[in-house]
Amino acid sequence: MPELRRDPVVGRWVIIDSDHLKGPLDFFKDDNTPTAQAICPFCPGREYQTPQEVDAVRPRNSVVDTPGWLVRTVPNKFPVLSSEGPLLKDGIGVYDQMTGIGAHEVLIEGPDHDKSLTELAMEEMQAVISQYHGRFRKLSNDNRFKYVVIFKNFGFSAGATVEHTHSQIIALPMVPKTVLEELKGAEHYHQYRGRCVFCDMISQEYQDKERIVVENSGFLAFCPYAPRYAFETWIIPKGHSADFSNTDEASQAHLAQILQDVLKRVKKVLGNPSYNYYLHTAPIGYAHLACYHWHIEIIPKLTRSVGFEWGTGLHIVPTFPQDSARYLREA
Amino acid sequence: MSQLRKDPIVGRWTIIATERARRPAAFVDHQSTITDQKHCPYCQDIPSPGVYESHGVKVVNSRSPILNDNKPFERRGHGLYDVCHSYGSHEIVLEAPLHIANMADLPPEQIKAVMQTYALRMQTHRKNPFIEYILAYKNYGVAAGSRNIGHSRSQIMAVPVLPMRVKDKTRGAEKYFNYHERCLFCDMVSQELKNKERVVVENEHFVVITPFASRFPFETWILPKNHHCDFADGIAGHEDSLAAIMKDILLRFKIGLNDPAYNYMIQTSPVKNPSLFKDYYHWHIEVMPRLTRVAGFERGTGFYICPIPPEMSAAFLREVDIHART
Repeated sequence: MPELRRDPVVGRWVIIDSDHLKGPLDFFKDDNTPTAQAICPFCPGREYQTPQEVDAVRPRNSVVDTPGWLVRTVPNKFPVLSSEGPLLKDGIGVYDQMTGIGAHEVLIEGPDHDKSLTELAMEEMQAVISQYHGRFRKLSNDNRFKYVVIFKNFGFSAGATVEHTHSQIIALPMVPKTVLEELKGAEHYHQYRGRCVFCDMISQEYQDKERIVVENSGFLAFCPYAPRYAFETWIIPKGHSADFSNTDEASQAHLAQILQDVLKRVKKVLGNPSYNYYLHTAPIGYAHLACYHWHIEIIPKLTRSVGFEWGTGLHIVPTFPQDSARYLREA
Repeated sequence: MSQLRKDPIVGRWTIIATERARRPAAFVDHQSTITDQKHCPYCQDIPSPGVYESHGVKVVNSRSPILNDNKPFERRGHGLYDVCHSYGSHEIVLEAPLHIANMADLPPEQIKAVMQTYALRMQTHRKNPFIEYILAYKNYGVAAGSRNIGHSRSQIMAVPVLPMRVKDKTRGAEKYFNYHERCLFCDMVSQELKNKERVVVENEHFVVITPFASRFPFETWILPKNHHCDFADGIAGHEDSLAAIMKDILLRFKIGLNDPAYNYMIQTSPVKNPSLFKDYYHWHIEVMPRLTRVAGFERGTGFYICPIPPEMSAAFLREVDIHART
């Protein structure tokens, strides 16, 4: 059973995963080779190799766990949190812990082993976003959970271990630290000015123009003014919306379009780099916050974090965001 | 040209440091090959002026500094955003004249000289009224962000803003102190020494633990047993024990974990208003082997998955025979 533990100094929760390790030395067998198509458990026809699907976009009369699907979500075979059992909290001296309750799902973005997100047809891309939305709403209904994270690791150095295109969803019994920091900062801003800091950022980005990558009728993609990473790019809904679950079908289509557009630009400008993206949204039950604004952060994996960044949280970025934005815009 | 910029949402400062406009292709990571001794820039005479030299330790200004003080410090606003141009200092500490890659292989006296050098440089930098924080840190090995030069060195950075993580740590410690009227780190030290399962090694003045809520496998903290908020003043009289325990833990990494890349970061209190921090902050060193790739989930949420319980990491490191000859 995994455990959740809280750092007593900064209050950060971590998952201590003790289920998948036989001994410390196992740790050095870092399996770098991506799964070949011949044995890929995410390919159609091998549905029996994954845990039973929890949701899928598939033709109406097709059978679950058989081919024919466009997008398929299954529980992670090696989940970092356990979905069974009660949430128990405990303290030991200065330390706090709770049982590692949560959900960990894999969202297989298409049946084709060789196609990445940038190569999907628009309707396939829309199916991915609609599945994000469906799983997000479903997991939000479990009252043990406080937050749902949707994220993607693409490429080895971004942490991907399976080649076949996929994203992951983790539901957590607490709000993660970075999101909490954003919420606190945004609330502080809202208390003083009565406006959403993200909405204000959007209007300043339109004024300055130089950090805008691309836009469509629902969303804006821009490189933030104080990024943590080179070519960091955010996709944000133009209208105020605290929670991803509020996104209607039309907006989902706009999101599918702009997300693929930005990923294509990143691929072209940086030569198919590894990347991560993740969705930041309001905690479960706070879908109508006036101060918060959901968004997606895309981070190409280009440089390694050095001791200075780990030690201070002060990131060193080798390029100005207006330059990153210009390269991406002109791609 | 470089700038410091503040994120308007969470208040996190970022350094944007561009030596020159680079083409995007230049950002893609290249694995470097090990430089042999003949071509080691640190074995030859260093052209840039040394700022300090003693006991075989030499401090020089970085040749491609991330920060410098060529212009006076000035803050300004840009609409919603806050910015100041680059200010501060970036120094390289060459830890020994010998071409030895890993600090673990330096004699304890040499490590002691390095620690004393950090302290002296910190005492010098903190006289500058614009400096808010000084970090001494080391990147060893490519995965830890170092170039593969094969000559043991570390870095000291003095910055004009209070970094996010430092604020986080001091605030957490302050909250605990306000309620309990005791130092959180002192309480941790006594709980760890009583409990023992996360203790890797201890000596008269220091204990090395794997923290209860570790982010990474084999993450360790060196905690001083005596309360002091500041590294530079706190190590006085304890330099020998610090050097001994530093060498000890680095040897355990090297022998037990097959010479991994690692970082260490000295976590000392902010420079300004020491009287604020002296009761509740407690300096320490984070020492971390770099074995895992940090993935999207961790980067995006600040929520880490540690694939091995720290108790197991501690037991493993405890049992490494550091006197074994390889």
